[in-house]
Amino acid sequence: MTSTLSAVTTDQKAVTAQPNDARNPAGTQQPDRRRLTVRPVVRFRSSRADLLLCGALLLAILLVQGWNIQHYPTLSDDEGTYLAQAWAVQEGKGLAHYTYWYDHPPLGWMQIAALTWLPSLFVPETMTVAPMRFAMLLVSAAAAVFLYVLARRLWLPRWAAGLAMVLFGLSPLSVVLQREIFLDNIAVMWLLLAFCLAASPHRDLWHHFAAGIAAAVGVLTKETMLVVLPALLVTMWRFSHRDTRKFALTGAVTACALIGLSYPLFALLKGELLPGGGHVSLWDGITYQMSRPGSGFVLDPGSGSYGVLQSWLYYDRVLPLGGLAGAVLLMVTLRWSVTARALAGPALAVVILTAVAMRPSGYLPAMYVIQGLPFLALVLAGGAASVTHAVLRRRRAARESRKLTAVRWTALAALAVTAAVYVAPRWYDGNRTALTADANAPYRAAASWMAERVPDPSRTRVLVDDALWLDLVHAGYEPGLGAIWFYKADLDPAVTRTMPGGWRDLDYVVASPTVRRDARDLPNVRAALDHSDAVAVFGEGEDRIEIRQIVGGGRSVGAERSVGAGPSVGVGRSVGAGPSVGGGR
Amino acid sequence: MLFTSVFVAAISLALFWMAAFTLWWQMHAWRTPETLAATRFDPPDGGREGSFSLLLPARHEQAVLEHTVERLLQSSHTKFEIIVIVGHDDPETAEVAERAAARAPDRVRVVVDTHETKNKPKALNTALPHCAGDVVGVFDAEDQVHPELLTHVDHAFRSTGADVVQGGVQLINFHSSWYSLRNCLEYFFWFRSRLHLHAQKGFIPLGGNTVFVRTEVLRAAGGWDPDCLAEDCDLGVRLSSVGKKVVVAYDSDMVTREETPGSLMSLLKQRTRWNQGFLQVYRKKDWKQLPTSGQRMLARYTLMTPFLQAFTGLIIPLNAAIALFLDVPVAIAFITFLPLVTAMVTFVFEVVGLHDFGKQYGLRVRLTHYLKLIAGGPFYQVLLAGAAIRAVWREQRGRSDWELTSHVGAHLAPAAGGPGSSGGAGNDGDAGETGETGDTRGVRDIREDVHA
Repeated sequence: MTSTLSAVTTDQKAVTAQPNDARNPAGTQQPDRRRLTVRPVVRFRSSRADLLLCGALLLAILLVQGWNIQHYPTLSDDEGTYLAQAWAVQEGKGLAHYTYWYDHPPLGWMQIAALTWLPSLFVPETMTVAPMRFAMLLVSAAAAVFLYVLARRLWLPRWAAGLAMVLFGLSPLSVVLQREIFLDNIAVMWLLLAFCLAASPHRDLWHHFAAGIAAAVGVLTKETMLVVLPALLVTMWRFSHRDTRKFALTGAVTACALIGLSYPLFALLKGELLPGGGHVSLWDGITYQMSRPGSGFVLDPGSGSYGVLQSWLYYDRVLPLGGLAGAVLLMVTLRWSVTARALAGPALAVVILTAVAMRPSGYLPAMYVIQGLPFLALVLAGGAASVTHAVLRRRRAARESRKLTAVRWTALAALAVTAAVYVAPRWYDGNRTALTADANAPYRAAASWMAERVPDPSRTRVLVDDALWLDLVHAGYEPGLGAIWFYKADLDPAVTRTMPGGWRDLDYVVASPTVRRDARDLPNVRAALDHSDAVAVFGEGEDRIEIRQIVGGGRSVGAERSVGAGPSVGVGRSVGAGPSVGGGR
Repeated sequence: MLFTSVFVAAISLALFWMAAFTLWWQMHAWRTPETLAATRFDPPDGGREGSFSLLLPARHEQAVLEHTVERLLQSSHTKFEIIVIVGHDDPETAEVAERAAARAPDRVRVVVDTHETKNKPKALNTALPHCAGDVVGVFDAEDQVHPELLTHVDHAFRSTGADVVQGGVQLINFHSSWYSLRNCLEYFFWFRSRLHLHAQKGFIPLGGNTVFVRTEVLRAAGGWDPDCLAEDCDLGVRLSSVGKKVVVAYDSDMVTREETPGSLMSLLKQRTRWNQGFLQVYRKKDWKQLPTSGQRMLARYTLMTPFLQAFTGLIIPLNAAIALFLDVPVAIAFITFLPLVTAMVTFVFEVVGLHDFGKQYGLRVRLTHYLKLIAGGPFYQVLLAGAAIRAVWREQRGRSDWELTSHVGAHLAPAAGGPGSSGGAGNDGDAGETGETGDTRGVRDIREDVHA
C-alpha cells in the first residue's frame, strides 16, 4: 500500500470563523499553507432537508408548468422552426429540411431531437409543437434543480435557495417562457450547470474543466449565452483556491474555447466557413445576425424593444424589476456583504444582460429575458437573504434584549407579509391563465381542417408558418416543397426555383398572425394572400387563422368549400396589440 | 471509404484516450487545493529518531564532490553518515573523497568500487553492506541538498510509516536552450505532480536521487539491479509491486536542483537509456505482482509511455491531415480532431505550468520562453520519438549495456577507462561525449538518473 503524504488537516474552527477565504488576506495564510480554509460545504445529496425542499418545489414547478402546457401560450413560430429542424435531424435529413444556413449553431435542436426521439419513435404524430412541449419539462426540471444547487453552492441559506427556485420556476413570466420549445431554455440549463460546476465545493480541476465544456455547449445551443461567460469566469475565480486557480481558470477557458471552436471547424470541414458563390456560410450567418435591424431603445415608448419589455412586465413585474433591484443592492454592498461577494457572478450576469438590452441600436427578441431569469431569481433571493440578515443581525450586541429581538422579527415578518401580499394575487392570476386558457384552439382546428378537407395533400402546395408545418407533414404534405415555410417562398432560392409562376404555383396559404405580419416584406407571400380567398377562418380578430385557397392559379387541386366559413375579412397587418411573447426569429 | 473512416476513427479515439489519461495524470497535483497541499512535506515536529546513510557515488567528479559533501554536512539532522563511493580507477575523485573523510571522520566514509565494468547500481550495491543507518539515501555527486531536507524526510518516514520516501528533483536551467526549457517542465510535471499519483495508486517508478529507502527493506529486496539501465525505476517498481509504502513529497525550496544535459545529442542518449530501461523493467514483469488490474494497467501504460508518446507524436499530424484533405464524413473528421484537442489542452497547461514553475522558483519567465515552449513542442516530440525508436532498436539487438556511448567513448581521455568501461557511477556515456569540453561541462552532463 502506498500513498502520498497524509491528507490535509482541516481546521474545523476555520469553517465558522472564515466562511469566505476571499476575505482572508493572503498574508495570514502564508506561515502554513497546508491550512486550507475550509468553506461550509453543502452535501446536497446527503442533506435530507435540501432534498425534500428541492423535491417538493420541483413537483410544484412541474405541475404548474406541465398542466395545460399544450394549450398555453400561443404556439410560436420559433418553436415550430426548432422542432421541425429537430425532426429533420431525427429523419436523417441533415441539420434542417431546408438548407442549413448557420442562423444558429445546430446543437440546440440536436438536443431537442434527442429529447423527443423516443416519443416520436413510438407515436410519430406527436412530433408537433404542442405535444412536444412536454419535453421542455425535462429541461425546466433540470434547470430548476441546478438553480437550487447553485444557490446552495453560493452559500444562500436553504430558504433563500428555495425562494430562488420558486422565483425561477413559478413566476408567470417563467411559466409562459419555459413551456415553449426555445433554444434559450436549453442553453440556460447548460449555463446553470456550468455555474454549479464553477462553484463546486471540491474545487476540482475536472469540475472547472467541465464547467468550461458545459458553458461551451450552452453557447453552441444559443449563441447569445456568450455575453454571460464573464459572469461565469467571475464565479469561478471567486470559488477557486488561490493555489490552483490559474490551472482551474485556464483549463475552463481552454475547454470552452476548444469546444466552441468546433462550430467554425464544422463549417470549415463542410467548406462553408467563408462566403462564396452558390453556398451558405458561417460568415454570412453571423453577418446576418449582427446586422438585424435594431428594435430601438428599450425605454422609448415608441420602440419595438419597449413593446417587448412591456410584454415581459405584463406577465410578471416582481422577477425582472425585483431582480434588477437585487443586483443593484448586491453590487452596492459588495464591500460588506458575504452574500454579495458570493453572488457577484450572477449579479454581474444581470448587469451585463441589462446593459446589452439597453443598447439603443440593438435587436431585442422576446425570448431575450429567458437567459436572465435564473440570475434575476438568484440575485433577488440573495438580496432577500441580505436584507433578512441585516434586519436580524446588524449591530446586534452579544446579549440583546428580548424586546429588541422581537422587534427585529416583527419587522422581518412585516416585510415578508408585504412581499407576499404584493406578489401572491398577481402570480395567482398569471398562473391561473396559464393553467386554464386555451390559446391554441384555432391552430388545432386549422391543422385538422388541412388534414381532412384537402383531398390530396401529397400533391398540394401550402404556405404555412413553422408552428403548423409539422402538423401538415404528418397529414401527408410533402415536407419542404409541399408544406412550405412561408418565408422560404421568398428567401430560399431552392424553393423559389420551384415556383416560377409565383403565387400561381401554390394551392393554399394558412394565414396565421405571423404570416400576415411578415408578408409585408415578402412579395411572394403577399401576392399569395392577395390572390386567395378565405375558405375557413378559425378564431377571431388579430389572432385568427385563415385558410386561404389560391384563386386563379394554374393548379387544379381543389378542396371542398368549408361549410361554415365566415366571410373573408381583411388581412390584418398590424402587430398583435396584446402582449405577445415569442416570435423573434 | 467505410474502412478508412472506421480505421481513422478508431485510431483517433485510442489516441484521444491515451492523451487524455496522460494529461489527467500530469495534472494530478493541481486537481484540488487539498491534493496540492498534500504533495508537500509536513512540517517536522522536532523529534529526531531515525539515522541516515547517504550514498554518494562519484566518478570523475572531483570538481564538485567536495562542495556537495560540505553542503550535506551542514544538514540540520543529527544522525547521518555519508558514504562516498569511488572507483578504483579514479584516483582524483578518490583523493577528494579521502580528504573530506579526513576532515569529518565520524561522518564521512569512502567505499571503493572494484568492479571491472562500472555503473551506478553496482556502485550502490557495493556500498549497501557498509550502511549503518536505518535509512539509505541516494544523491548524485553534484546535487545541492537543502540542509533541512533530512529532517523533513525523517519526519515523513515516522509520520507516515513509509518504506520509501522520494523527494523532489528539479532541473532549473530552463533558459539554456529550447529543449532544456521543455526538459525542465517535464521534470516539473513529473516530480511536482505525476509521481504523487503513482504513489497514491501504489505503483511508482522511483527517481535516481533524493530517494530514501529503509535499509532493511532495501537489503531484503537485494539492492539495485546491476543489469538494468533504469535501476531506480526498477527498484521502485519492485518495491511497490510487493506492497511497500512509498511517499512522495515536493517542496520547491527543498528539491534537489539539477541541470539539463548539455547537448541535444546527450539528451537523446540519456532518453534512449531511460526508454530502454523502462522497456527492461516492463519485460522483467515484476509489476505483474501488483494486486489490482487497475494498478497493472497503470504499470503497463507507464512503462510503455515512451513508445506510446512516440507513436502519438507521429500520428496526430497525420490524422489531422486525413481529416482535412481526405473526403471523409464530417462526423469522422470531427473525431480525428479529438487527439489534437487534447494536445492543445496539454499545450495550454504546459504554458501555465511554466508560469507556475517560474513563480515557485522565483525565476523570470519571459514571453520568448513561452513562445519557445510552444514552438519547440513538435520538435521535442520528434526527439522523444527518435529516442523511443532508438531504444526499441537497441533492445531488439540485445544491446543492453549500461555504457550507452561506449562506441563514442573511444575518444575519451585514458583516465576515463577504455571502451567498455567508460560509463561512470551516476553517469553514463554522456560524460564521455562531453569529456572533451572540459570538466565543468562534464560535470553538468552527469546527472540524468531520474526519470521524467
